[in-house]
Amino acid sequence: MSAEATLLDAVHAALRDALLSDRRVFLLGEDIGHFGGAFGVTKGLWEEFGDERVYDTPICEEGFVGAAIGAAWMGERPVVELQFADFVSCPFDAIVTVAAKTHWRSGIALPLVIRAPFGGGVRGGPFHSQCPEGWFAGEPGLKVVCPGSVADAYGLLRSAIEDDDPVLFFEHKALYRRLRGELPEESHRVPLGRAAVARAGSEATIVTYAAGVDLALRATDGLDVEVLDLRTVWPFDEAAILESVGRTSKVLVLQEAQRSSGVAGLLFSFLSREAFELLDAAPVLVAPPDTPVPFAPELEDAFLPDAARVRAAVEELLEY
Amino acid sequence: MEPAVDDPGVPLETRLELFRLVLLQRLAEERVMALYRQGRISGSVYTGRGQEAVGAGAGLALGPEDVVAPLNRELACHLARGVTVAHVFRNFLGKATGPTRGRDGNMHFGVPEKNVFPLVSMLGDLVPLTVGAALAFKRRGEPRVALTFFGDGAMSTGDVHEGLGLAGVLDVPVVFVIQSNHYAYSTPTERQMRVTDIAARVEGGWGIPCARVDGTDAVAVYAAALLAVERARLGRGPQALVATTLRGHGHAAHDGATYVPEELRARYGDPVERLAARLRADGLGEDEVERRRHAAADEVAAALAEAEAAPAPDPATLEHGVWASPL
Repeated sequence: MSAEATLLDAVHAALRDALLSDRRVFLLGEDIGHFGGAFGVTKGLWEEFGDERVYDTPICEEGFVGAAIGAAWMGERPVVELQFADFVSCPFDAIVTVAAKTHWRSGIALPLVIRAPFGGGVRGGPFHSQCPEGWFAGEPGLKVVCPGSVADAYGLLRSAIEDDDPVLFFEHKALYRRLRGELPEESHRVPLGRAAVARAGSEATIVTYAAGVDLALRATDGLDVEVLDLRTVWPFDEAAILESVGRTSKVLVLQEAQRSSGVAGLLFSFLSREAFELLDAAPVLVAPPDTPVPFAPELEDAFLPDAARVRAAVEELLEY
Repeated sequence: MEPAVDDPGVPLETRLELFRLVLLQRLAEERVMALYRQGRISGSVYTGRGQEAVGAGAGLALGPEDVVAPLNRELACHLARGVTVAHVFRNFLGKATGPTRGRDGNMHFGVPEKNVFPLVSMLGDLVPLTVGAALAFKRRGEPRVALTFFGDGAMSTGDVHEGLGLAGVLDVPVVFVIQSNHYAYSTPTERQMRVTDIAARVEGGWGIPCARVDGTDAVAVYAAALLAVERARLGRGPQALVATTLRGHGHAAHDGATYVPEELRARYGDPVERLAARLRADGLGEDEVERRRHAAADEVAAALAEAEAAPAPDPATLEHGVWASPL
């Protein structure tokens, strides 16, 4: 395909190719069939693959996430769509109680993927804009993936579907149609648990993920700053962080989750334990304040990190 | 003691197997309670005393390829699936060779090779899960059934509501066995729900056929469960049955259940003795009944000795198996 593919196209293509290549893969979610999903990610898949591959469900996140777990127990590879990541609070119990702990307790692998659009910038307000990855990061038995590029969205989702553990796959809704790139070949896979250098640099490292990647690249245009895209935020790539910070000696964590949520706390804990002697300056955090996500444009713009704030924080760090 | 029913569809061989299962649960749980009071089992202990017939009957009604997610009152269901009493004891004792390798205790275990899913404490969670297992069978065209249990208490959870709803619209081969045992911990059923006719709720609210059965009658439970399982297997959608019992012990070992009135206890027969009476009425001599009691006691004693000799888990293995494919 052309360089005009969007991140949404990449997710769609990954789902379609997974459905084509593996009979065990099926999709489960609200309005994902004939309607094509709240964001249109699954548009056309029900028509192409039919009722036994693309299931519309009642409004029951606990129910259909629980059912996906049961199907995974039987060796299927269900891919669940939550209409918005905010609704992951509903099946939280099924994810944390059952999906996360079953392999450790009983050796039963549960290969399922829970896809959910997350993040702000679309004036969604407190219940359609959250970044809930931090609710799951740190939870033994789960994997949490947040793609930040078109090619990674494809490659990470294919890897997540082929993985034997429960994977939470958060797609930033503001990137769905904004990010563009070349759609990779069908064989393209991005390994889970591996970060990527989105842009090499030598004077500081920005550790970020999802929408933070594009934001960091834009904000530091012209600066000799490395942007490290975590891609998998739990368990995150410790070696890649140490390698980059070891070269740059300065680190800034950028996330769209509130400053006390997301993965910043885990990253700072890791940096203070493992990178203290590599650093020439105290690590910096750019993240929203500890409030719910607001609705009014004036408030949401004040809440979300923007290029100017990231630029200012990076420049201050570089001058340290 | 009123004997269990003389259902012509349940042959003597099956009645004898049910008797073996309820005896083993009864005797194994009596050992577990004793060990707990002696401080030889840590944590907590839940038993299914008075409810043994439900797990035994439903477990035995399943075919070899069917799958089940039992709770902690259904030890006999595990045994019906071929799990050994020693394996059960190894879990209570937290042994390295037990089903959870010391990672979880009491009845919190599954046995994957016997198609038994491990229970979680959050009631209701296993209902949607079992629906999903049944969905897998339906998708693949396999003549298999998934069965789970829940109680009158769990009827109040959203998971049960969502699971029953999903089972109906997906029209999957799933069987729900509802243990209505009067109390959810200390809360009586009438404080749990306004409409206490659970079968009427399941049929009227979720459109799932729901039989009513005396849960202290192992023959009746088996017959009702077999009918439900075979209907589900034939593609007639989700099935349910409500087995009415009275929890014989408290919620857990620490709970004396003093809130259960004596007159209520007097209304319930002992499932083990009701089945023994049935077998005597079937022509089994008293010596044969006693021989079976002794055989079960011997099996439990041998299983306990085997389990106690098993090694404790090695702390070095603590972090093993958190992920199926670690990164």
